Amino acid sequence: MTDYGHDLLFGTFVTPASARPQHAVEQAVVAERAGLDLVTFQDHPYVATFHDTWTLIAYAAARTERIRLTANVTNLPLRLPAVLARTVATADVLSGGRIELGLGAGAFWDGIEAMGGRRLGPGESIEALEEAVTIIRGLWDVEQRGGLTVAGRHYAVHGAERGPAPAHRPGIWIGAYKPRILRTTGRIGDGWLPSVQYLPGGVTDLAGMNGHIDEGAAAAGRDPRDIRRFLNLAGDFGATSRGFLQGPPDQWVEELTDLTLTYGTSGFVLASDDTATTELFAAEVAPAVRSEVARERG
Amino acid sequence: MTDQGPAVRLGIQLDPAGDPAAAVELAVTAERLGYDLVIVPGPAEGGWDPWTLLSWIAGRTDRIRLVAAGTDGATAPALLARAAASLDLLVPGRLVLGVAGDGPGPLPDAGVPVWRSGDEHPDLELAGSTADGWIGHLDGSGTHWLQKRLRLLDQAAVRAGRDPRELQRVITLCGVLTDSPTPAEGCLDGPAERWIADLAPLVVEHGVSTFVLRADDATAADRLERFARDVAPGLHEAAARALAAGVLAARPLRRADVRARRRPGIDYDGLPGSLAATAVEPGDAGFGAVRSTYLRGGNPGLVLRPGTVAEVADAVAFARRHQHLPLGVRSGGHGISGRSTNDGGLVIDVGALDRIEVLDERRRLVRIGPGARWKEVALALQPHGWALTSGDYGGVGVGGLATAGGIGFLGRKQGLTIDHLRAVELVLADGSSVRATDSEHPELFWAVRGAGANFGIATAFEFAVDEVPEVGWAQLAFRVDDPAAFLVEFGRVTTAAPRETTPNLIMGGTGVAQLMAMVASDDPDVVLAQLEPFARLAPLVQQQVVIAPYAAIMNMFPDAPHAGVGEPVSRSGLVRALTPEVATASATLLDSGAVHWFQLRSMGGAIADVVPEATAFAHRDAAFSITAMGANAQRVDRWWNGLRPHLSGSYLSFESDPSPDRVPEAFPPRTLARLRALKAELDPTTLFRDNFSVAAAVPTGSSA
Repeated sequence: MTDYGHDLLFGTFVTPASARPQHAVEQAVVAERAGLDLVTFQDHPYVATFHDTWTLIAYAAARTERIRLTANVTNLPLRLPAVLARTVATADVLSGGRIELGLGAGAFWDGIEAMGGRRLGPGESIEALEEAVTIIRGLWDVEQRGGLTVAGRHYAVHGAERGPAPAHRPGIWIGAYKPRILRTTGRIGDGWLPSVQYLPGGVTDLAGMNGHIDEGAAAAGRDPRDIRRFLNLAGDFGATSRGFLQGPPDQWVEELTDLTLTYGTSGFVLASDDTATTELFAAEVAPAVRSEVARERG
Repeated sequence: MTDQGPAVRLGIQLDPAGDPAAAVELAVTAERLGYDLVIVPGPAEGGWDPWTLLSWIAGRTDRIRLVAAGTDGATAPALLARAAASLDLLVPGRLVLGVAGDGPGPLPDAGVPVWRSGDEHPDLELAGSTADGWIGHLDGSGTHWLQKRLRLLDQAAVRAGRDPRELQRVITLCGVLTDSPTPAEGCLDGPAERWIADLAPLVVEHGVSTFVLRADDATAADRLERFARDVAPGLHEAAARALAAGVLAARPLRRADVRARRRPGIDYDGLPGSLAATAVEPGDAGFGAVRSTYLRGGNPGLVLRPGTVAEVADAVAFARRHQHLPLGVRSGGHGISGRSTNDGGLVIDVGALDRIEVLDERRRLVRIGPGARWKEVALALQPHGWALTSGDYGGVGVGGLATAGGIGFLGRKQGLTIDHLRAVELVLADGSSVRATDSEHPELFWAVRGAGANFGIATAFEFAVDEVPEVGWAQLAFRVDDPAAFLVEFGRVTTAAPRETTPNLIMGGTGVAQLMAMVASDDPDVVLAQLEPFARLAPLVQQQVVIAPYAAIMNMFPDAPHAGVGEPVSRSGLVRALTPEVATASATLLDSGAVHWFQLRSMGGAIADVVPEATAFAHRDAAFSITAMGANAQRVDRWWNGLRPHLSGSYLSFESDPSPDRVPEAFPPRTLARLRALKAELDPTTLFRDNFSVAAAVPTGSSA
């Protein structure tokens, strides 16, 4: 039972459906106007009815002023790390430091293969993720002299010219569930970005998973607080309580406050594609959770 | 105002190594100065990601075209195709993919124009035979060298059987505009007169449409402005003097293979610029997604997709010039009576007008665009604890339903959807935009509520909605051995039910009846008590009852692409009661095998509280709406005619028969007379005639 003590971030998780092309962009504008901190988009390049997520992010970032944006999470096997580094850095500079990098090792391998990606086993995909993070951070690091060389098993760069540098240090937030990749997240990640519906035992799984991250952090000599704990949420507002995050805003406040105090979750990302839900989350839930958590932390 | 069409166009090529924020500023400045395009070249080493820069510029500009000139090899081809398709959807018609001569051969077909560059013979051959444009460069070698390249390009196009006008010719320039002549080295250093004299022949003799300045130093913004001010007008004048009238104003040609699929009688090239960017014609990549509707297959000649009220007016003006063709008006594309697709005609698709906003929280007043769908409306209202009765399927669009009636699952409690309408805004046949309410244009407001498709294209609706907590929702399936007896009993139970409960019944020829009922209460005891008489109608083979938000019911079904085939056959009738005669005729129809879908929607309750004269939907005494669908019109009618003598009217939204005989069934005599008078006033040439036109010829008598 750990509260890592981070300030709280609230955001939305928007489906990048392209059937109504501007809808996802409007939802980013809605989230910003409602006062949320973050808007995120799924990245499933093998889904033909979705926008290309990083194109959408660059476009949506240009239509907003303040809110932070990221893919949730970037499908690494279909994106070259060196290109991804420049994509994020370019968008980060243009947006004045509002871009983060949600990153995943890959999950839907049939779709990845269909798009020309290479199928990797679980161990390989974690190794590839770690190599990619090294390359991405290396390219961002223009303070270092000389080109970047990383001779990985999955990705290699040979004397690549560094740069461009992002405007801020984009957080690398990793989508992870199994012990090994959770330890990797603890070792190299700036954040952890799982989805509640993929937790087999529900939110109580967070305790054990946090433990793996903390273990990875400790082994690398890092403070567990270096890794911010996010959670993608799904819920419905309604008059009556029908389960976790299914009920009136007061119930949500209680449940999210408990997540922060019990599991250290400090980034709440709600799946929402509609204006009213996002506005209600921003108006009735986010500020109340902040003040409840502040009161409990004393 | 329509646009003046292309003249000599201007462009800017950004510097890949420069400051990206400055590059964005230049693109914005260029757009403000009337420039037509911005070229974003490939990456410099360690430089910015050009695609991200391009996407960002797309978000900061409204009109300027975006040429991605450096996409080769940076990413997997399949991913590039997706990225290009995304940007083309976000900023329709503004993206061009540039490919260098030595770039990869075949590009993924993302439905986006491809311009090639490269000066060698094979490059020009490839560009002339396949590309939509060619980007050439004026450098120290002078314009004569460039003219030779342009001739080779033309020859390649002709050899490939193409009209050379399909190719856009875009030339990047070098040189400095100065006040005093300086020695010429091939570049255009010198005063404006020299630039005009050197460039005009490229326009006149080689069809160059666009000249591009390279923005590679700090003076770029000044140079953009000076070029637009001092060179472009003179260049345009010089070229216009030398060319036949209208040549310069001609729009670039769509490719021959696209033009080859155009339909006769449509002035494709006369489409105003406001609509051209989003319009879809049969040869376009996006045509497959817009040609058909939910139930109807189609092959229209042109689909217009206006995004603003002014663009709807432009579309209506275009339609007035094409009255010889069918005209479909589409909101969600579920229409049965409304021919929202057709063969060879026009479609005006208002799907882009899909805003949903709360106007007044206290009065629960919401404003909704015609292109929103009812599932989205329900989702938007849910967090407020509100709901508005709609139809029985969330994918249906707002515009069609809200101009016809709206017999939905909260109907007996809330009335028809149109009973909640407080204001509507339409573009009329003459292109004018009006707002109709109880006090402004009251006769039009009356007419829209039941016969709206006759009078214009709705661009916004304002509804007063109700507070609705969660609702009870039941899906019951019965084994039915005696359909006639079952129907009579269903009618009796429904008529006796409190108005919170609105049941729909679906039957096929299978001996199973499916009942879907909504109870407007979140109290489980009330829900069960009101459903209980229905559960006793016949032996249950399946039952499910839940308490859920109205929005959850409207969002039960996932979206599917609209890929209707052929022409639906649907018949609609209203009855005041499920009498034994109605039940027997229905059972005979079901037994015939001629219909695969037979549905009863219950009415009454609040629907009947409204007096018939209040809205153009006048059949307020109906207790049920009956819909039958089959594959063959003659077979369906043979059995449907057995029901006709018992019908008190018809609901036009479910009637696919275009015969004028059907019109008086939907509108009783006094209603029809009022509608005809208003039609003669507002749509004297009967522009809107493909959805139950009230102006149709005098009925020829019953076909029964």
